[in-house]
Amino acid sequence: MQLVNGAPGPVGAAVEHLQDLALVWQATGGLRALTGVGEAMVGGPGAGVSGLRSFSSEPASVGDLTRRLGELSAAARAMLQHVDQAGGEATAGSARTTVSPQQAATPAEELISRRLLVPRGGGQVVLPGEVAVELRGGHTTRDAMDDVPVLATSERSRPVVDHAAAGAAFEAVRRVELLLDHWGDDPPTVLRSGGLGVRDLKAAAALVQADEPTAALLVETAWGAGLLATTADLHGNPTWVPTDAFDAWTELAPARRWVALARTWWESQRVPSAVGSRDSAGKTWNALVPELHNPWVTESRRLTLAALGELPDGEVLAAGTGLPSMVARVSWQRPRRPRLRAEQVAWATLEASVLGLTGLGGLASYAALLVAGDQDRAADALATLLPEPIDHVLLQADLTAVAPGPLETGLARRLQLIADVESRGGATVYRFTPASVRRGLDTGWTAVELHGFLAGVSRTPVPQPLTYLVDDTARTFGTVRVGHAESFVRADDEAALTELMHHPRAAGLGLRRLAPTVLISSTPLDLLLPRLRDLGAAPAVEAEDGTLRVLRPESRRARTPRARRVGAVRAARQSVRVSQVVTAVRAGDRVAATDPSPSAPLTATGSLSALREALETGTSVLISYVDNQGTSSERIVDPISVEGGTLVARDHRTDAERSFAVHRISGVRAL
Amino acid sequence: MNDGPLIVQSDKTLLLEIDHERASDCRKAIAPFAELERSPEHIHTYRLTPLGLWNARAAGHDAEQVVDTLLEFSRYAVPHSLLVDVAETMARYGRLRLEKHPVHGLTLASTDRPVLEEVLRAKKIAGMLGARLDEDTVVVHGSERGNLKQALLKLGWPAEDFAGYVDGESHPIELDETEWHLRDYQRQAAESFWHGGSGVVVLPCGAGKTLVGAAAMAHAKATTLILVTNTVSARQWKDELIRRTSLSEDEIGEYSGAMKEVKPVTIATYQVLTLRRKGVYPHLELLDAKDWGLIVYDEVHLLPAPIFRMTADLQARRRIGLTATLIREDGREGDVFSLIGPKRYDAPWKDIEAQGWIAPADCVEVRVTLPSAERLLYATAEPDERYRLAACTHHKVQVVRDLVAQHPGQPTLVIGQYLEQLDELAAALDAPVIKGETPVKERQRLFEAFRTGEVGLLVVSKVANFSIDLPSAEIAIQVSGSFGSRQEEAQRLGRLLRPKSDGKSAHFYTIVSRDTVDAEFAQNRQRFLAEQGYAYRIVDAEDLPA
Repeated sequence: MQLVNGAPGPVGAAVEHLQDLALVWQATGGLRALTGVGEAMVGGPGAGVSGLRSFSSEPASVGDLTRRLGELSAAARAMLQHVDQAGGEATAGSARTTVSPQQAATPAEELISRRLLVPRGGGQVVLPGEVAVELRGGHTTRDAMDDVPVLATSERSRPVVDHAAAGAAFEAVRRVELLLDHWGDDPPTVLRSGGLGVRDLKAAAALVQADEPTAALLVETAWGAGLLATTADLHGNPTWVPTDAFDAWTELAPARRWVALARTWWESQRVPSAVGSRDSAGKTWNALVPELHNPWVTESRRLTLAALGELPDGEVLAAGTGLPSMVARVSWQRPRRPRLRAEQVAWATLEASVLGLTGLGGLASYAALLVAGDQDRAADALATLLPEPIDHVLLQADLTAVAPGPLETGLARRLQLIADVESRGGATVYRFTPASVRRGLDTGWTAVELHGFLAGVSRTPVPQPLTYLVDDTARTFGTVRVGHAESFVRADDEAALTELMHHPRAAGLGLRRLAPTVLISSTPLDLLLPRLRDLGAAPAVEAEDGTLRVLRPESRRARTPRARRVGAVRAARQSVRVSQVVTAVRAGDRVAATDPSPSAPLTATGSLSALREALETGTSVLISYVDNQGTSSERIVDPISVEGGTLVARDHRTDAERSFAVHRISGVRAL
Repeated sequence: MNDGPLIVQSDKTLLLEIDHERASDCRKAIAPFAELERSPEHIHTYRLTPLGLWNARAAGHDAEQVVDTLLEFSRYAVPHSLLVDVAETMARYGRLRLEKHPVHGLTLASTDRPVLEEVLRAKKIAGMLGARLDEDTVVVHGSERGNLKQALLKLGWPAEDFAGYVDGESHPIELDETEWHLRDYQRQAAESFWHGGSGVVVLPCGAGKTLVGAAAMAHAKATTLILVTNTVSARQWKDELIRRTSLSEDEIGEYSGAMKEVKPVTIATYQVLTLRRKGVYPHLELLDAKDWGLIVYDEVHLLPAPIFRMTADLQARRRIGLTATLIREDGREGDVFSLIGPKRYDAPWKDIEAQGWIAPADCVEVRVTLPSAERLLYATAEPDERYRLAACTHHKVQVVRDLVAQHPGQPTLVIGQYLEQLDELAAALDAPVIKGETPVKERQRLFEAFRTGEVGLLVVSKVANFSIDLPSAEIAIQVSGSFGSRQEEAQRLGRLLRPKSDGKSAHFYTIVSRDTVDAEFAQNRQRFLAEQGYAYRIVDAEDLPA
């Protein structure tokens, strides 16, 4: 039991606990672990969790080991310690394995000769367990095992922590609402892999004025909470849009909204902080891809927040040194967990602070309730910390309106209609511009309503320039009007138009008078024209340039069919064919007339020089050529050029120029 | 929930509710590091910028203070990321230091080796540095002191300059306070400049920047080069210095287009220094003509680009910049920071107005409707002609006449951009006109007559925008401007803000043509006024009392 570096009490208790669990049992030689436990607890190849190798089958006595260690030179001892820390295994290199301590020339040989390192196959040496224990002062670990790593803390009062965390919580809720509201109008497309594109994430981050990891966390959390889902847009492409649950969510009080988000994060196995990093295959992780999860993150989050929750009142995790100490604590609690632990703890700390579970490094009191599973009390506790929605703004002469706190949702929506948002946060700054006021008028507000609304929501008198802006915009609003008409009727004679307007049978024509001399109609021209004639008018049609278009009834004519002389093309084709065949036959005859004995296979250089010679002398050559399909043929050609591995030549068979790959020419013979 | 007056937005703006009981405490606390962007009647907007935070660092504030201030006054929780950002930005200032080494001369030293390594690898900087002395120190070529500071600022690692200044040739200068006294804020401004070594003092027009300059000279007691925008303003500096200091007329020289005197105190115009003949600046040698102990830059926000380049070579001399605004239309605020120095003193306009040093102003925009013939002409005009057409409508003349008639006996300035229009107005109002072509002598005579009350109405072009002291002006009517420049608006309003003997408020009229680009440009200017806290009204020309 003294092998374990720790106070006897806790170690004894731990051993008893293990016995109760029946993982170890009392055997004649001492405690023994259950078969299989040893294998399950393996930390690295061939070593235990503490990096300890197995003991030799006949371990030397402690006294003997101490003596052998005592004989070592300083260099050898340092080397031994290094091997211990590096996992108990090393490469022997050029060290001789069969030397006596007296012959040892290098530190490695010193160690091997004293059996402090034991050679194994493949030039490897291992550090026997008993030597390592001796090196570690007689214990399996150098550090005491019952020393819980202490968290590095600094002082922050509980109210300050709660205040900061509530600020982050409010910000997270506000950002999710802003982002999803925006995506409702302008949804990003779903990647083929199922995630959200890098560009869309960047745009989202810019929209909510945060960095990309924050945006990824918010998007992931909103998705986990069921506020975001995919649906096909008009063109059938899948897009990310808010769900109807989002509408229900926005109706909740901010604190309840936060609980929904925080709860999702707390239970989720998603790894939003890995977005933007690369997976083992070197591919960048996108947000919202289905594979982006890890079952261990939930436990890391739980352990991290639990450790924060255990801090005494008024203490928080220190800014710089806190995180490493938290990693040490969690690793101590779960020594066998994956390599990603440090990363996951860092992520959990960051994500919790962004979502407002923690503030300034401390667990907020309402978050402690949430973590404990009491959602209602958590929401109530948070509600007291969040700013109350307000129902007024301050209007200023520079044409801005400042809402010094979160506005009631309905009011905010109406204000957004008639003013542009300039700055968001705890407060919102709106700016009135001619364009924004016009937008309000477009949606049916009148100047009087606008004045009434502004006077109603403002705590302060409405500044004169703003009143003037509304009136001025309303004055020019609608001076130019557009509308739809199929055709127009125009006449210098006003009476004639009046008569048309009032004709009892003109009701169906959809006539409307725009000016004394202009009518418009919802009837297309080709219908209107005969109808007007029916009514007794004699209208003329105006062309697009305003000139009169004279219509004359046209009697129809068809095109005279041309007799096609079918035989001519065929005859031409045939004659060409015949002459081609003749050419080919003649070329073949010439090939046959030359020495029929197969040419000796030439080397590449041989064929090249033969071709060049023919090129210089201007004579025809017979080449054996293997085409793409592997068919061999012999043809007579007049070389034109040999360049870049290609022979361009006139082929006698087709009587046309073509190119041959030189490497496919198996023989060249001069004629 | 905290009930502070400040709301910190995640886009780094700070909203200060000024009716709050703790508003003035809060304003004092945040002024050193946040830049006042707008100050309309209820909520003032400040912005946190890297330059602002570095200015605060240069003034000895640290990130902890800034964060505490924000937390203390903030109504809602401060976004965590913003606090982190503040701390990180502020920590960037001063990691690099320019120092004087007894053997090697100018050196760049760092307390943070990775930062030094980072900047050493920057291509732009490599040429300015010499041998590496040890791991934390590298030699800087003496002539690159200014360029290096500029380049480092661009990299986001502004260097603190501890290399000190040459004393310059000493020359006795004292303030002569027998008949007047330096105001408190002027004294503070001069002192904080002197302790800082070099830098910019921001004071509104009419708040007596010249005297801050004089006080700085009295601190330096050395030969001084004063750079001003134009000749008239040079003469005013001269008069003011003779009146307010122990300097006599013989000790002050003018170096301008007309005269080229070099004396212990020399006042030069930007124009003559930046005059370029065959690719060289013949008057640049003035900068080396004497061993100057102090260089005063008047109206820093107008400093032309060549002067920046020259200033880069003058880093061993003390420099004070005087201006009403750090906003530069060309966005070169960073160059002012690195070459002249950080902001050493700043006072919001409204505060000084409340102290009674500058006159309150009543701003009115008068809208005239173009007659339909002119509207048609306007509608069919080329885009680049439109503003001139809209701004110069004949209709405005009548409105100006009405306005002048409304304020009989009050000294009035009519300010415009287009010469034909000015001539037309001058003829209609029977008033003298000052334009670019008016000789300096004549200008001075007219200004003097206006000051004494002999002439009650002046029509002026943009030559009057800067630095001409016309304390008696009570009414300004502007009929056209240079496309809604905010800076011009500040200058023109500044003409009116010199305190009036009877405490009356000044009137500032702008006449614009309705439904034209004129009105659009006017909107820019109004916004500036409203943001400066001057409530303004818009009236239709028809509604003016005839």
